[in-house]
Amino acid sequence: MYKNKHQWARKIGFGFRPDDNIPLDINAWNTDQLNNEFPSLGLNKVGLWPEKYNFSIKQRLERLDKHITYRNKVQAENIDRQEKNKRVRASKEEANVDKYDVYKLWNSAIYDNDIFKQRLLHFWTNHFTVGGSNGFRNFVIGDLIHNVIYKNLNGSFDDLLYLVTTHPGMLDYLDNQTSIGENSIEAKSRRKKGKHAGLNDNLARELLELHTVSPARKYSETDIRNTAKVLAGWGLFVGDFIELFNNHKKWKNISGNTKLEEFVLEPYIKRRAEPGKKVVMGKTFPSGPKALRKLTNMLANDDFTAQHLSKKLAIHFIGENASKDEVKIIYDTWKKSNGDLAEVHRATLKVAQATKTRKFLWPSTWMFQSIRVSGARFIKNVKSDGGFGRIQDNGRPVYEPKGILDEIGHNFWASRQPDGYSEKKLDWVSTEHLDRRIRIASRIFRAGASRSGEEIADLLDFSDRTKLAISKGRNSKEKFIIALCSSDFMEV
Amino acid sequence: MISRRHFLSIAAPALALSGYPVHGFTKEPIEGRIIVIMLQGGMDGLLAIPPVGDDNLFKQRKALVASNPLKLNPLFGIHPNFRNFSKMLKSNEASIVHATSFPYTGRSHFEGQNIAQSGSKLPFSTNTGWLGRAMDFAKITGKALSLDAPLLIRGAPEFDNFYPANIEKTRSPQTALIDLIKETHDGDVMIAIDKLSRGSMSRPSRLRARDPLSLATKAGESMRELNGPRVAVLTIPEFDDHSSIGSTTGHHPELFTLLDNVFYNLKTALKEQWDNTIVLTTTEFGRTVQENGSAGTDHGYGSVGLLAGGLINKSSVVANWPGLASKDLYEKRDLFATIDYRSVCSACIEAAFGLEHDFIIEKVFEDKKIARIYEHIFG
Repeated sequence: MYKNKHQWARKIGFGFRPDDNIPLDINAWNTDQLNNEFPSLGLNKVGLWPEKYNFSIKQRLERLDKHITYRNKVQAENIDRQEKNKRVRASKEEANVDKYDVYKLWNSAIYDNDIFKQRLLHFWTNHFTVGGSNGFRNFVIGDLIHNVIYKNLNGSFDDLLYLVTTHPGMLDYLDNQTSIGENSIEAKSRRKKGKHAGLNDNLARELLELHTVSPARKYSETDIRNTAKVLAGWGLFVGDFIELFNNHKKWKNISGNTKLEEFVLEPYIKRRAEPGKKVVMGKTFPSGPKALRKLTNMLANDDFTAQHLSKKLAIHFIGENASKDEVKIIYDTWKKSNGDLAEVHRATLKVAQATKTRKFLWPSTWMFQSIRVSGARFIKNVKSDGGFGRIQDNGRPVYEPKGILDEIGHNFWASRQPDGYSEKKLDWVSTEHLDRRIRIASRIFRAGASRSGEEIADLLDFSDRTKLAISKGRNSKEKFIIALCSSDFMEV
Repeated sequence: MISRRHFLSIAAPALALSGYPVHGFTKEPIEGRIIVIMLQGGMDGLLAIPPVGDDNLFKQRKALVASNPLKLNPLFGIHPNFRNFSKMLKSNEASIVHATSFPYTGRSHFEGQNIAQSGSKLPFSTNTGWLGRAMDFAKITGKALSLDAPLLIRGAPEFDNFYPANIEKTRSPQTALIDLIKETHDGDVMIAIDKLSRGSMSRPSRLRARDPLSLATKAGESMRELNGPRVAVLTIPEFDDHSSIGSTTGHHPELFTLLDNVFYNLKTALKEQWDNTIVLTTTEFGRTVQENGSAGTDHGYGSVGLLAGGLINKSSVVANWPGLASKDLYEKRDLFATIDYRSVCSACIEAAFGLEHDFIIEKVFEDKKIARIYEHIFG
């Protein structure tokens, strides 16, 4: 049981800042966490994230297209190579909006009041990992996080699954834009020219293995292949999405969504799709773009998906030693509500509130909690006129928000494997990881922490052993670092 | 998989070894070193070491064969980007094992990577790695060149990791502070903090570079030191090339060049200790024999292992070649694995730590059926 409200806010969120209003009725607050809109107030009391720094998927792809057009123009010019590179870099920096996306993730974790939803956002972002790249995928990852996942946390899992599966970032990350039905018009035309064309099963495999039913479902290699056939035709390279869209539109390969703003939501190229019916795990799917929604619905509603995800949620919020009974409460809710995420998330809250199991926090969760609970100004709240960029150190810009996430090995924009970051404690325990935590804690101390190490220990009911260690610190900085790097703070 | 019995019958005469037994189960006091390079994502073994003598290679793959592989023997060639590794083959410092895999056919990265590190037959069934367990039996320390401590090395009596921090305006924490933090922890976290406190593996002060090449040099240098770690683990990611893998040039060939230079940097940095070293690659699976629709290859089964180091006496390409005709493929799509890669791991443990083969397969891998192929690899 979490009687201490500050600990409870860490168990399911990022903790309370010193200036947060502490709820009197924790159960009402729990419900509000899912149901209400919470303005991002924070230190500078500037209100919500500025609308001009929210970018739709269409805007992102258009900015990228503009950059690439400029890049091609510069590269054709007869000028010095260094000058070319400089101009291209500047153009990309100007076009890419991932700096706003990363900043928004930091800002929300540190200042927003819907902390349970923010933690759920991190959980689902990791579940549906889209690895970043030095190329162009980083232009769209923020859309998946802030516009797709966040906005569907209270919806049904089948909606979320379909939206994520058809997202240009996911389709690009798992190579589906290169998958062409073997009997498609495109494949036939390529074969006539002596070129090879066929399926690429990367997304199909991970859709089954990671995103939904898991290998426990014991599907066959044929099921994977037929899933790839249903998926064939979906997606375009993010880098030349707009140009390819225009080409395909010109050649009438796009049926239905001929407007860009519709096409970006369902990027389906008829010419590349595999005709005919496909059978996946015993169920037959028709040809055409509507088959994918039917397939993701079937996967979303499979019993193995409910088992897989109930367990994953329990492990994330309760800990890797979550009991079978605890998982079952979430699972039963999943089944009863047909994967209604609001219900499932509420069940997760209920189980977390009653558990005695502790979770070793992810590095980023630990860092955001450290900043939040200590009341530090590690990152400035966003101003309506921008003020983005580097993290402040005593008023001077020092750190890149994304760079810090890289340093602690927990960056949703980094290149990484599709299974995402581990939930296992041992995967985060190493001398280098602990070195990073001590260094980060020392930076947070310098960034205007308003609570001392002793105050944090009292506030969170730390053990006597930890309080004793804190008391032995030689100065307030050491005491602060010991508090944040103690087992009591790292595990909750 | 080839049976133990069958393999023993074709094995070369046992190598004569001399020395003084130091433990009950070791046979000579070699101060061998093992370096594992984990090729994450599944390396395409047929692109790295193409069986150019097998006509079916060109029938199955049209684009994905380098135009100018160096010929190793009538059956095998090597991708031209392995320049340094080819020299090592010539000077009897390298060997290749082909058509091999850990005993896993499921084609999942995550299960496959887990098995390649744990060495067990079931994914996610143990919390220690095969190398860590071998180190435990041989009482040997090691180091991972990564931010985290990979499963492969867990279980060792002492292991550490190295991955230089790059956070401005911070420095290595002071021992007194670390010791106070340690007082609040138990178990694995306490052990890791203790290592941080003791700086047991000579923590560097300023080195910032942490790409595979710099880490390889760092690994070689620290393993050369007296009482330095005898095991190192490095990761090269991004082998999961489902599209535009490349043939003579391209992404996979670029990774070959990187891997080749990692071998070179290790050798250069290890200096005289290279003679006591074996470097081996691991990968979770090979890739499909045929290219997919996007000039890449999907998840498969058999792949190749590259080994180098002074512990090798005579270079060879070890393979029980299964053939590439469609009927010879695993599930009609993948290169069959006819050698259990755990045989390769066992041979390396035997060579570097001096443990007996029977002891290794029983205690480290808990599978008495693993064949001994030591002489084939080390000559």
